[in-house]
Amino acid sequence: MNDKKILTFAFMDPPFESERTITFFRLLDAALEKGAHVRVFAYEGAVALAFAKQQTHGNAVHGRDNAAENHPLTKDWILALQKKAASKALGFEWINCGLCVDERGVNEVVDGCGRGGPPDLWRYASEAHNTLTIGTR
Amino acid sequence: MSHYLFVQSQDGFTETRTAQQFQLAGQLQEAGHNVSLVLVQNGVTQARAGARTEHFDRLLAQGVRVIADEFSLRQREIGADDLKPDIAVGDVDVIIDALLAKHKVIWN
Amino acid sequence: MKVLQVIDQAYRTTVEEQDDAILWLTRSMLSAGGDLMVLLTGHAVHYAVLTRRQPALILGEWRQTEPAEIHRDIAGLVEGGVPVYAVLEDLQDRGLEKLEVQSHVQIVSRQQIPSLYEQADQVWHW
Repeated sequence: MNDKKILTFAFMDPPFESERTITFFRLLDAALEKGAHVRVFAYEGAVALAFAKQQTHGNAVHGRDNAAENHPLTKDWILALQKKAASKALGFEWINCGLCVDERGVNEVVDGCGRGGPPDLWRYASEAHNTLTIGTR
Repeated sequence: MSHYLFVQSQDGFTETRTAQQFQLAGQLQEAGHNVSLVLVQNGVTQARAGARTEHFDRLLAQGVRVIADEFSLRQREIGADDLKPDIAVGDVDVIIDALLAKHKVIWN
Repeated sequence: MKVLQVIDQAYRTTVEEQDDAILWLTRSMLSAGGDLMVLLTGHAVHYAVLTRRQPALILGEWRQTEPAEIHRDIAGLVEGGVPVYAVLEDLQDRGLEKLEVQSHVQIVSRQQIPSLYEQADQVWHW
């Protein structure tokens, strides 16, 4: 990485359950916008954010089919942020806690997301300019 | 002097822990540190004028800098004119600025 | 880099993970050289007064065989050199102040919390 600053984020929430997930992704986007490299340690439910088999669906209550509903998927948000990072020559790294992945069976993740453990969080935090952890409720 | 920024997602209407969280922020301010609070999510509901939020209001009176996240406000249809005095409207990039300035940034 | 781990919830994961997820994370980071402190506040002060293994969950024929041992995990942190603090007023609010606090867990008042925040380079609130 170049001399730009690295920010590490640790997160715990799975997709679709909490408003914290939205704020978290907004923070990642804002960090890239500010020219920071981003590193994410996904812990517990957050390992499902990168699950490659997330699927969109329609919304019969609102009369929208799959295409029209264009349902958000967090895996797509990750891919979008990876692309943004690349366009700005910034790093965007994502490590899932491996044991958390195993117990949830979400082993298939989108490209660019890896597997690790708590020592990686410590490494990420130690190498970063600063770290923000967002726990779950 | 240290710099603290609390990202306040919890609100006093549903989370009684906010009383202690705001007390701690006030203690740090009184100890001479620079303390800011960024309200996000339902945390912004405390910022609406007329909201009955004793502990939050005390923090405002202590002079802690409070910023309400514009996106969270817009979701709840709270305009800038609907806010209590001395609350600024901002974006989550304020949080990133604090991280980049190596402030202690803490999520509540 | 010294990090203060602030835990204010309890029992979120103790059955399914057979651990408190943040106490476990803290112990795991020790192996990577983590310089950590733990502050038990809110409901997490319960952990400072636990004395027994958690009860085993039973669902149909399924029976848990390795319930969490929080008191063991707290002791393990302390033995590993991690200072563990519990907030007095949170114990009092919950009627726990007369119970025996686990050995080497240090009781701090709310007035002392800012000083712990100042000792740490970073504060990670879970």
